[in-house]
This record gives sequence, structure tokens and C-alpha cells, in this order.
Amino acid sequence: MIHRLDPRSKLVMSIMFATVSIMFLSIIPLLIILASLIPIIIAAKSFRRWLRSMRGLSVLIVFILIINTLISTTENPFSHSLALALRLICIMTSFSVFFLTVHPDELSQAMIQMGIRFEFAFAMSMAMRYVPTLGYEAYAIMDAQRARGVELDKGNLLKRIRNIVPIIVPLIIVSIRRALSIAESMESRGFGATDDRTYLEELVFRKQDWALTILSIGILLIMIYAHLFLAMPQWMLWDLPF
Amino acid sequence: MIILDNVHYSYDGIYTALRGVSLQIDAGELVAIMGNNGAGKTTLIKHFNGLLRPQKGHVFIKGQDTAKMSVAEISRIVGLVFQNPDHQLFLESCRKEVEFSLKSLGYPSNEITERCNTTLERLGLADLAERSPFTLSGGERKRVALASVLATGPQVLALDEPTIGQDARQKERLAEMLFEMNREGRTVIVVTHDIEFVINYFPRTIAMSDGRIIADGPTTSVLSNDDVIQKCSLTYPQMTQAVRALSEMFDGVSVRQTSVNDIVETIIKIVGGR
Repeated sequence: MIHRLDPRSKLVMSIMFATVSIMFLSIIPLLIILASLIPIIIAAKSFRRWLRSMRGLSVLIVFILIINTLISTTENPFSHSLALALRLICIMTSFSVFFLTVHPDELSQAMIQMGIRFEFAFAMSMAMRYVPTLGYEAYAIMDAQRARGVELDKGNLLKRIRNIVPIIVPLIIVSIRRALSIAESMESRGFGATDDRTYLEELVFRKQDWALTILSIGILLIMIYAHLFLAMPQWMLWDLPF
Repeated sequence: MIILDNVHYSYDGIYTALRGVSLQIDAGELVAIMGNNGAGKTTLIKHFNGLLRPQKGHVFIKGQDTAKMSVAEISRIVGLVFQNPDHQLFLESCRKEVEFSLKSLGYPSNEITERCNTTLERLGLADLAERSPFTLSGGERKRVALASVLATGPQVLALDEPTIGQDARQKERLAEMLFEMNREGRTVIVVTHDIEFVINYFPRTIAMSDGRIIADGPTTSVLSNDDVIQKCSLTYPQMTQAVRALSEMFDGVSVRQTSVNDIVETIIKIVGGR
């Protein structure tokens, strides 16, 4: 259901959630935001993938927790850093909803229909498309270098860092070469031949998209109003005692 | 030198590249591996220096199981050159590129200069030694990549598609060089689709299809087998085509011959000359 929404309405929703997360820096409000995001992720059947990306983030979160607790000058340093970590999780989750449910092609189509030039939108979806290719290439390069005696997994830290050079230089060169040849082959197939390009699939903004957009903007406005003019109830400011 | 015993390998457990490959290559052999695209040739040679370890079966290099050796250890014995030279080249001159391989294998500095010079000379790269590999043509880059492995003088040399992008003169030069290395007692293994190259220079051919070895033996007999030619999606070399055409028209022409000299002899015999 969430997958079928227009990417533009989902973008508005994600921006709303992210903005609201930035407005608050206490544990309870951020938990409320997270608690309203998780059902959306589950409804999009992306909970597992979200968990995996959160696991990737966990190192950074632990880092934030430790460093901020140590150097923070606030009254309850641990609570403060916990809130900071939660804020990061909320922002990440807001955009996860978007990126986990929008296909790269849909994204570039949405960008085009929002008035961004086709060339730029296309460049972005190409970049996404070539990430796995780059991964394969990196493995092939590692194989080729190991075959001539480069010991990639040996030596001290400095040596290991220096070992990246024989991998990264060919990777960059190969990518530049490929970019040039893709450009040539696209031009020879008529890329950019006409100014008013037509599209096979156009995005349509339907009722549910309008509903989501209006709802998101409504919530955002209420939150901004509340943030600027209303005092937060005491229970929302609750902190851990350390 | 190299013994494979019932080697199986599949990528990610989904795509099976090798289904029980057994072979033996002795020291000092000159072997060509042929096969259609996706037959498992590259996967096979990656087992020769331990980049891939068999999921079932064993690979022995000089009697040692590769499962117990590191790639760096094996690469002193087996030099592997891949198809795409751009995957190896990263330094600012061809000379440095060749020196780098020698340095990583720990050669003394006077030997490095000497080996570097002879290899560059042998591959016709002496004039390009100070040029950046990235400004060279595809064929030239390919030779630089070759040089960087050849210079280390491995006992076994395995090349993946070395003839791509090389003109006839360079192919001949490459063959000469491989012969020379072979005469020094080194084993040379080449993966290629270039049937004329194989017929002209390689006494033994291993034909692969669908992850299996379908024929292994003297090049002339392997490559005159219809089944092999079809399964490896090859076309008969011109000499074989010529000899077949001749045998259809005249009696007593053996279809097994592939060398130009043999065929000249045959034709002379047919026209009753000499």
C-alpha cells in the first residue's frame, strides 16, 4: 500500500518526520515519533531491511552515546546523548521509509516531474544503478592484485592503508573509462536528441497522495506552532536522572 | 605440477561454475584451455593460485594442497594474468608497474632492474617504459599487465585471454615469449577463444563446457572433434576446413592435419607435383 503511493507524497511525509525530529530534543517526544514511524515501516513490509540498516548505524550510535556522555555539559549528559542518538535514528528512519519504498526509476521520474532536468535525474539514477557493479569490479581488482603478490590482509595498519592504493586507483580509472564509454554509447543511441522527451510511465498524484500530503503538512504546521508558542508539558521533558 | 581432483565450485551456491573437474598438468607443459563463454575457464584458472578454493575436491600445486596455502605463497609459483589489464595497473609508469610486482614478491633491487628491463624488452615495451600505462592503447596496456607478472618468472604461468586486442605481429611475439619461458622449463597455461593461436603454438588442449572437461589431449585430435567444436562454440580453423574440403574431393587425404606445411604437402601430392 505504501509502495504504491506517489514518491512525491512520500517525500513530503519523510521531510515532515525529519523536521519534527529536529525540533525536539527530549527522549519522550522522539520516542513518540519513532513509535509512529515503525508501524509505517511494518506496513511497507520493510521492517527487516530497516533493522538491517539500523544495525549498520549501531556503531555510530554507540559512538555518539559514549562521546556525548563524556563531553556534554548538560545537567543529565546521558539523557542528552540518548536523545541525540534517538534523533539520529528518527531522521534515518524517516528517510528509510522513503528510500525503502521508492524504486530508483520512480525517484528519477518524480524528480523530473518536479521540474528537475532529465539529465540530472538520470545521472542520479545511473549512480545508484552502478553501485553493485562497482562492488564486483572491486573484487576483480583485488583478485588481480593478489595474483601478483600483493598481500592485502597482512601487515600493520599503515601497510594495510597503503594497500588500498593498488585497489582504489584501478577502480577510479575503470569507472572513468566506463563513464566515458557509457556516454558515447548513449549518445550514439540518441540520448538528448530531442528537448521534449516523452516517458513511458508517468506518475499520477491520486486521492490518497493528496490525503497524505495534506496530513503531513498539517502535522508539520501544528508541530511548528506547538514548538514556538506552547510550553511542553512536564512529562514530556522527563529525563533519566543521570 | 598442478593436479585437480574432482573440483566443484559454485558462486553463491546458486550458479555452478565447475562440476567435478579433474586434470593433471605436468611441469614444462604448454597447455591451452578452450571453451564457450561461461564454461568455467576463468573459474578454473583462479583455482590454480588459490584465489578460489574448491568447495568440493582438492587442488594440489607441487604436491601441496592449496587449501593450506595463502595466495601470496602460491603466487610465487603460479603467475596469473587476468583479462582486463585495467584491474591491475595503478602506477605512473610501465617500469614502476613491473617493478611493483617484483618488489611485492621481495626480489633484491639489482635483480629488479634487470628483470624489469629484459621483460619490457621482450614484450616490445622498452620504448614505452616511462609512459603512463593509462595513456597507452588497450593492447599495450594488456602487455604491460602481462609484463608485470612475467617479470616475476613464475614456474607456472596462467594467462586469461592474452591475445585479445593484439595484432598478428604481437601475437607472434607473445607466442615466442611463451615458448621461451616454456623452454626454460616453465609450465604455460593459456585460456583463449583464439583457435588459430592454439593450433599454431599449443601441443595440448583442454576443452571445457558447462563446468566440465569434455576433452583433454593433443590439440590436433581435440580440435578435430565435431562434438568439441560444437560444444565450445568454436568454428573450425581454416586449415581444417581446407583439409575437409580436400578430403571430400580426393581420396587418401587425412582430415587430422592442421599445419600449413602438411596441407601444402597434401596438395602437392594431389596435383602430382615434385
